[in-house]
Order: sequence, then C-alpha cells, then structure tokens
Amino acid sequence: MKLYSSLVLVFFLVLVAITLGLFLTLIVRRAIVQYRERKFAARYRKIEGELLKLLGEPGVDGALALADRHAKFPHVLTDVLVNYSRSLWGGEQAKLFAIFNRALRSRFRADLSSRRIVRRLRAARLIGFFVDHSDATVIKDLLQGSPIVRLAAANAIAQSPSTEAVPIIFRAFETDDVENAHAYKNVLFSLKTRAENGIREALKKPLDQKKIEILIEIVGSIPIIALAEDVAAFAEHQDKEVRLRVARALGRLRRPDMLPVLLRLARDKAWEVVAQAVKSLGRLGSPEALDILTQALFSQQWYVRYNAREGLLNMGESGIARLDQVARQNRDRDAADMAAMGLVDAEFKEGS
Amino acid sequence: MNPVLLALLNIYLKGVLVYFLLLNAVYMLFVVMSAFGILRHNRWTRYIHTREIFSSPLSKPISIIVPAFNEESGIVESIRSLLALEYPQYEIIVVNDGSTDTTLSQVVKTFGLKPVRRIYRKALKCKLIRGIYASSEYPQLVLVDKVNGGKSDALNAGLNISRYPLFCAIDGDSLLDRDSLLRVVRPFLEDPDRVVAAGGVIRLSNGIVIRPGQTTKLRLPRNSLARFQILEYLRAFLGSRMAMSMLRSMILVSGAFGIFRKDIAIACGGYKLNAIGEDLDLVVRIRRYCYRKKISHRVVFVPDPICWTQGPERWRVLARQRGRWHRGLIQTFHFYGRMAFNPRYGLVGIFAFPFHLVFELLGPIIEILGYFTFVLFIFWNKVNYPFVFLFFMVSIVLGTLLSISSIFLEELSSKRYPRFRDIFILGAYSVLENLYYRPFLSLVRAKAFLDYFRGRNVWGEMEKKGFRKT
Repeated sequence: MKLYSSLVLVFFLVLVAITLGLFLTLIVRRAIVQYRERKFAARYRKIEGELLKLLGEPGVDGALALADRHAKFPHVLTDVLVNYSRSLWGGEQAKLFAIFNRALRSRFRADLSSRRIVRRLRAARLIGFFVDHSDATVIKDLLQGSPIVRLAAANAIAQSPSTEAVPIIFRAFETDDVENAHAYKNVLFSLKTRAENGIREALKKPLDQKKIEILIEIVGSIPIIALAEDVAAFAEHQDKEVRLRVARALGRLRRPDMLPVLLRLARDKAWEVVAQAVKSLGRLGSPEALDILTQALFSQQWYVRYNAREGLLNMGESGIARLDQVARQNRDRDAADMAAMGLVDAEFKEGS
Repeated sequence: MNPVLLALLNIYLKGVLVYFLLLNAVYMLFVVMSAFGILRHNRWTRYIHTREIFSSPLSKPISIIVPAFNEESGIVESIRSLLALEYPQYEIIVVNDGSTDTTLSQVVKTFGLKPVRRIYRKALKCKLIRGIYASSEYPQLVLVDKVNGGKSDALNAGLNISRYPLFCAIDGDSLLDRDSLLRVVRPFLEDPDRVVAAGGVIRLSNGIVIRPGQTTKLRLPRNSLARFQILEYLRAFLGSRMAMSMLRSMILVSGAFGIFRKDIAIACGGYKLNAIGEDLDLVVRIRRYCYRKKISHRVVFVPDPICWTQGPERWRVLARQRGRWHRGLIQTFHFYGRMAFNPRYGLVGIFAFPFHLVFELLGPIIEILGYFTFVLFIFWNKVNYPFVFLFFMVSIVLGTLLSISSIFLEELSSKRYPRFRDIFILGAYSVLENLYYRPFLSLVRAKAFLDYFRGRNVWGEMEKKGFRKT
C-alpha cells in the first residue's frame, strides 16, 4: 500500500504542477495576445493612414515606399489590402497592386502551392484581387482542394475584375470532377454577364448533368436574358431535375416569348416541375397563363397549389379575381382554402 | 462481516478507481483534441469572412423556430436579437405553446402583430393552432398561437409553418450573437450534400449585459451557481462536443441552438412528442435514418457561433433541469439502445453510443455506489486514510485541471471574458466545484434513474429572470 500511496503522491504532485503551469500559461498567453492585438491594430491604423494619404496622389511611388516600409508585417498588410481592394477602383487600385507586387507577391506564390492548408487559405483570399494568368494552374488546384479551401478560392476568384479570370474559371469548371462542381456556383454567379459566352459554349458541350444543372441555375440567377433559348433547349431533358431548373431559370429571365415552353412544363408529368413552372408563369404575368394557374390550384400537390396561389397573386387584379372565384367554389376545399388565404395575404399587403 | 462481500466491494472500489482515471484521461484527451480543433478552426475562418457567406446568392434561407411557453421575461429581447441577425434570408416563427402568462400579448403588442390566415402543410402532427399573427413592419416575423402540447409539439407546429429548407431551433429565453447564423451555416455551404445538422456553442447569459437584442458586455454573474455552470458549459461544448465532432460521433445538437435540414427532419417524423430530451432524440433518429438509408451524412459542431441562454440560479431548479436532461439520456438508450456496439451505425454505433453509455449514462451510478461503498468501509474500519486523502486530492486536482483546460479553450475561441479578474474567479471556482457542485450533480443524475423508471417525466417549472439591459 505504501508503494501505491507513493505513486499517487507523485501523480498528485505532477498534476498540481501541470494545473498551475496551465493556469500560468493562460494568464501569460492572455497578456501576450492582448499585447499583439494592440500592436496589430496600431500597425493596421498606421498603414491605413498612410494608404489614405496616398489616395489621389499621382503615380505609384508612394505605394512602393509604403510597401517597403511595412514589408515586415505581411499579415497586417494583407488585411489592409483585402479590405481596401473591395472599395478602391481604377488608378487607386493600381496602388494596391503595386504594394502587393512589391511586398507580398513572392510570399503569395509560395503560399498558393504550400502544403499547409492555412497558407493556401491565406493565399486564396488574395486571388480575387491580384489574380495573374500564370497562377491559373495553381488556382485550379485550389478549387480541387478541401471544401474550406475551395470555398475560399471560389469566393476570392468570384470577385476578380480581371478578364483573364473568365476563361480560367470555365476551363477549371469543365475539367474538374463533378463532386467539386458546386464550389463553382459562387464563382460563375459573380461573373455576372461576363459569363454569357462561357455558359453558351459550355451548354453545347457534353458535360455531366450536374454541371448542366448548375449552368442553367446560374443563367436564371444572374440573370442572362440572352441565354433563354439555350436554356429552353433543355426543356425536354429526360431528367426532371434539369427540367425543374429550366422552369425556374425561365421564370427568372421573364422573357414573354418563353411562355409556350413554360406552359408545356406546367403540364409536365413530374409535379416538382409543374410546381416550379407554375411559379415562373406567375412571374411572367401573362394573362395567357391565368387558366393554367387557376387549374393548378386544384392540384393534389400542396406545393403546386401554393405556387399557383403565389403566381396568381403576382398577376395583380386579374389573378386576385381568379383567387376569389376559386375561394367561393365548394367542389375542392383544399383549393378554396388556398385561394382564400391568398386573398387574405393580398389584403394584408395592401393594408400595410 | 462477510469476507467474500468485503473482497467484492474491494474489487469494486478498485474498479471505480480505474474508471475514474480512465474517465479523466478520456476527457483530457478530448480537451487536447478540441484545442487543436479550435486552433484549426480559428486559422481557417480568419480567411473566410462571414460577409462572404452573407453575400452568397446561394446561401440557403433558414426558418428560425422559437418555441415559447411562459417566456414573458425574455421573449421580447430574444425576438429582438433574432430580428437583428445578419443573414440574407430568414424567417422567425415564434410558437406560443399555450402560455398562461403574458407571452402572447407581449409579443403581439411589442411587434404590432395582426391575425392572418397563413397556409401551411401539416407534414407533422401537432396540437390545434389557434391563430397565426404577422406584421407588415417585421415581415420575417410570424407568431403561432397553439394549444399547449409541449416543446416537441411546438417545434413540430413551427416546422409545419416554416417555408425554408433549413431550420434552426432555439429556446425562447436565448439570445444569438448577430453573426451566429452566418457562422453556424458555414458547414452547409461547404458540404451541402452531406451536412444534415450543425450546432454552435451555448453559453450562459447570466451576468451579460445587452443593448436591444445584442450582447454588449461580457461579465461573470454574481451568483455562484451560475459561475459553476459557466465552467460546466465550457467543458461540455468546447471540451467534449468539439472532440466528438472531430471524431464524427456527434449525437447531440443542443435544443437551445441547432440548425437542421428540414427534409431529413421531416422524413424522420420531426420531434418525438414523448421525448424528454427532444434535441438528443432528433439527432439520434436523424443519424439512424441516414445510416439505414445509407445516406452519407455529417453532424457538425462549430465552435464560434454563440447562443446565450439563462442558467438556473437556484439549486432546486438546477436539480430539476439536470434531472430532466439525464432522464432524456436514459430514454434515448431505452429507445435506441440497440444502436450501441452495432457497426451498421458506423462510428455512432461503435463509439458514440458506448462512450455515452459508459461515461455519461452510468457514470453517476458508478460514482454514487463508490461513495456508498466507501462509507461501508469507514463503518467497518477498513479505510487507509492517508491513501484516501491523497486520492481525494488527486480527484480535486484532476477536476480542476479539466476545468482550467476548458477556460484555456475559451481563451482560444472567439469570445472570452475580457477581464483578468474573471480568469482568476473562474480558476477559483474550478477548485470549488469539485467539493460540492459535481457531487451534487452526480446525485441528481443518479436520482434521475429512479424518476425515469417510476415514470416521473414531467418538465417542471423553470425560473426565468430575463436579460440585464443597458
């Protein structure tokens, strides 16, 4: 038992030492962190102040001098550049480029291909503003990285004003694994109308269905009205997921000449497609859709009825008159309830 | 004295010693893992700003469901904090679960709500909905007034009314940080096909000061019981849950703040009405459903979104709350115990369930029986007092080390108590809690077994104090 007691005593003393050590570390660390935060904030304010003074000055000499002065503080400098690159344009942004090229470019390159995920993330944050054609392959690697790196890279590229970014992004999107495709959604969306040609070409290629779905979705989200025909070409696709996206995209594009396509989709065999087509018809606001929207109120599917109600509400007076008619009939209680509640919503909106 | 009985009890006590060391070793391992997890999370999120998630057109909209039963003291502040959230598209569905106080009238009056007829799909069974209220001034706010049916029933009603593909369940007395939703939704953006649920950190709001809807000052409460709970929450969330998430073995996303995929939750039947711990029950069923349907899935813990919730400041109320939580755990093992040690359920079956069984469910029983055996040994005069004293001291230091490690994890995380004084106070409470707070909780949890098997499964009244305002 003496041996046990001695062992426990040693164990106890070791534990006491560890506990006190940890507590002491906690206190010291807090003091160091607070000190560093203060230093970081002070340096940030200093760089920010100098940068603001540079604005309006001709040339980039001042910017280069600033880069030299603060090159020893790459983290602070990176933060300032990322924050200001969102709000500066033209000649002023050229100053940020100059600072970046002088103080951070080599570090950025090394980080892009670093094995450490944190470094790749740090580099990914800068891609959007300081992308270079020579970095294309590394960027593609980033988009194939772990989810967090993909998200960071996608978000960053999406904000790049460079024209070189567009072909880089489409090449990466088309050749990348389909599992990574969703990482490109933000990128493609943020290209806005610059994506038009790329999407048109891509829709003609035999891409994986998931990628086609993403492209159709993006056409509607941006929206790129000129691509309506290219999207409508998929209205007869064998998979309902694709047809559903076509219905949604066409609704967002609001092209009156797409009405026949949407009317056809509103009679689709899959209720999910019908629900979406009905919603899109409502967005189009064409009187020719009134009958089919009214008919959809009698669907067995709740979502179809709900979207038909929303569609009729979007159509203004004529839609509300149809809701009123359906609310008064007795042959289908579900349809009557849906229509009645639509009328209440309309009144509520009007009242507000 | 029967020598066989004595020998058996001796073996039992040695077993308890081994169990105690193993338990602490596992929790210390968890703390170390969590420290790495939090540091990694900090480094990663440093370069992904929440505003990028906010500006993403493809962020999924969220329905926030707030069940409220007699929450008059905190509901208005809670709704204000929700209205101030940063998130591109969300709706707040407050479900008044037949409150007998002024919850309903306060919310209606404060936010100028009017009765509306809102259509909804009754995908889940729930008690009669008496009315739905909305306001043109706060279009994202919906108040549902229904007949009392319990928290699960209220959540199911909220799920029926909700319109968005993700839902977030939070308690009526809770307060979210402004960017909490943006932070907690991140796993759903990174891995949209596999993430089915995500939870954030719950911390005690006792002592914090708020300006309309948002925390302004982080202060320790004066109440000592609340201080003990602060340490306990830090241990539970930053210590254990982070590690369980890293081991892909999460079976609990706290009911006070969790985000779920609505389609999966509805496919599982929503919240179970007779579940004592409805949050634990739902996550276990979601995981069981995914494993059975062979759906690749993840339940994730995110260490930086924070939900502030009020903790009890009286022992009696605390005992009631903890008793209920433990009965919830017992019930989960009662209902889904077959998942334990079953490889069909992946890591949940072969690690999470056995872990919770041995260290969480049976822990208090083993501990209390240990105390009881020790008393018998004193009675029989068979105690080696120097050894027992040393062991007692070791247990105190081990408990203290665990708590101080949790304070250390808090230091590493995004939100910490700003004053040095607070660290010293928490340090002192790390020692004190081993003397009476933890044994008290063990006793309460052991008693929960008796209550459960006697069929005493009522919620009991909770004491609500509301938030301190500037």
